[in-house]
Amino acid sequence: MSVFQAKDLSVSFGGIHAVREVSFTVESGEVFSIIGPNGAGKTTIFNLISRLYDVDSGTLIYNDEDITRVSPHHIAELGIARTFQNTELFEQETLLKNLLIGRHIHSRTNIVSEFLFLPSVRKQELAFRQAVEDVIDLLDLQSYRDQHISNLPFGIRKMAEIARALCLQPKLLLLDEPSSGLNPEETEDLSFWIEDINEELGVTIIMVEHDMNLVSRSSNRVLAMADGKTLAIDKPAVIQNHADVRRAYLGD
Amino acid sequence: MYFIKKTSYQQDIDHFKHNGQRFWYGLLLLTILLTPTTLSDFYLGELSFVFIYAIVGIGLMLLVGYTGLVSLGHAAFLAIGAYTHAVMLAAGLPFLASILIATSFTALVGGIVGIPALRMTGIYLAVATLAFAIIVEQIITHWESVTGGFRGMAVADAEIFGVSFVDATSYYYLCLVILIACILLALNLLRSPSGRAMIAIRDSEISAQSMGINLLRTKSIAFAISAGFTGVAGALFSHRIGYLAPDSFTLLTSIQLLLMVVVGGLGSLQGVIYGAIFIGMLPQAIAVMKDTLPAVIGQLPGLEPGIFGLVLVLFLIYEPLGIHGRWQKIRRYFEEFPLYRKATYKRQRSYLRTERVR
Ligand SMILES: Nc1ncnc2c1ncn2[C@@H]1O[C@H](COP(=O)(O)OP(=O)(O)OP(=O)(O)O)[C@@H](O)[C@H]1O
Ligand SMILES: [Mg+2]
Repeated sequence: MSVFQAKDLSVSFGGIHAVREVSFTVESGEVFSIIGPNGAGKTTIFNLISRLYDVDSGTLIYNDEDITRVSPHHIAELGIARTFQNTELFEQETLLKNLLIGRHIHSRTNIVSEFLFLPSVRKQELAFRQAVEDVIDLLDLQSYRDQHISNLPFGIRKMAEIARALCLQPKLLLLDEPSSGLNPEETEDLSFWIEDINEELGVTIIMVEHDMNLVSRSSNRVLAMADGKTLAIDKPAVIQNHADVRRAYLGD
Repeated sequence: MYFIKKTSYQQDIDHFKHNGQRFWYGLLLLTILLTPTTLSDFYLGELSFVFIYAIVGIGLMLLVGYTGLVSLGHAAFLAIGAYTHAVMLAAGLPFLASILIATSFTALVGGIVGIPALRMTGIYLAVATLAFAIIVEQIITHWESVTGGFRGMAVADAEIFGVSFVDATSYYYLCLVILIACILLALNLLRSPSGRAMIAIRDSEISAQSMGINLLRTKSIAFAISAGFTGVAGALFSHRIGYLAPDSFTLLTSIQLLLMVVVGGLGSLQGVIYGAIFIGMLPQAIAVMKDTLPAVIGQLPGLEPGIFGLVLVLFLIYEPLGIHGRWQKIRRYFEEFPLYRKATYKRQRSYLRTERVR
């Protein structure tokens, strides 16, 4: 069963055709990777799915629902979470606070009860904290819990983004270059975590990634693109030997 | 260094993290409660002003320091609270009902003003809120049948269930109780999902949206809450000055209020208190100074606003973190305006470039 479907997505900025008629389908439980040289339009596809940009043409389908025009905050409510290539964390706050913000869509309290901090609010806060601690344990972030984001090294910030996205308890997770800024050991850990998130938490993953090693280890299928256009969609091993893909990376 | 041993998640939620804090805040409260036994009525009145400013400061801090939205229109919210309360009292409503209506009405107006804030930040929002304040000032000036226009209107005495709050000591306690209630409400909000949503918007609108936070709703609510606090303060303010006229709520008032949260330190509720003491006490300090300084300096015209302005500039240049606080989004808007967008864009591109090298 397909979880997500992009049909003929196109968007351009001024004269730049960032994405041209890209179509792909992501199956439930899959790890689907998007690769391509710099400026290929990978992040733009994520921004289209998160509804930060409007499509010029094309359709986005999530679980049989057309999400091409829903508002950005509604995307999260539907169970789609994402990370950002250069990290977009809440810089002035601690990691813990960032992760608690990740629980936002699960809040059921109203503003009056929050002003009075009624027992229902306290109960919800404790439940949130429990869920956040589970994610902290999963990604080994215990020692950074009370640190301010602005003091954290880039590698940890990348993990913090994944952690925050997981706090939403998403069904579909978009990871934008999760390994950039990580050292080889951290990338190794990341590949295991991606496996855990995918298999144990049952989250379908779309991942933009440059590290081909990580891509071939983790993903079921790969979309290769260049200059906003689809080059091929296939298994990692096939993509790596694909003539068009090699040409796009090596240049003509 | 002192480490707190945490044994329960409750500890991170509670207002007081350990007994040391309970002790010092308890002592502070006791001192404030006993103050009227030692001070003259004049100084008690000035302290009531500090409490009232602090309530406005809480509202303004939630908006500016925690949601990252600037307002140069808070004198208008103060005026709406004050006039609504005075009009309701004049219509014969009891104090509590009247202050409740004044608060709700001010919050409602705030919520509406907050809607255009969806697409505005920084200097544009400052100008928009300023325009709103001018409109309110005009309405107050020209709606003579209700507000008395330039002549102004007298405010009925404060009386709750037959107990009068006219003398300095009782009014001091009334303002104190409401201030403490406001601090608790704000602290509760900030440890709840709605408060965190505001903070999220301050630090990254893009991320906040992707976390499922509705920008329009949250910004509008932030304005409503901020206006609500300012409305309560306005009602208390009306009794304190006794006679309302448009010239109590000018642009200079708005700037003073903003000065309070900047000097206090954006993004901290303690900062609000420091800021309120600062703007409440500075005129007194200047008055004392005038008497002691040689007449040439002491009698200079415009000494007071001059010192206010000087202090603001000095803070912005040398201590942008305020008395208690840290770097916040809003100051970045002012400082880097109009380069803000460009600068953020640049930073991101340089990130990309280093990645290319990798
Ligand atoms: N908001 C925007 N305004 C103008 N141009 C944009 C915008 N977003 C993306 N682009 C352009 O679209 C093209 C694709 O950008 P995108 O960020 O999607 O590339 P990418 O594949 O993620 O590259 P990288 O590997 O460097 O992250 C680029 O030429 C980029 O400059
Ligand atoms: Mg990218």
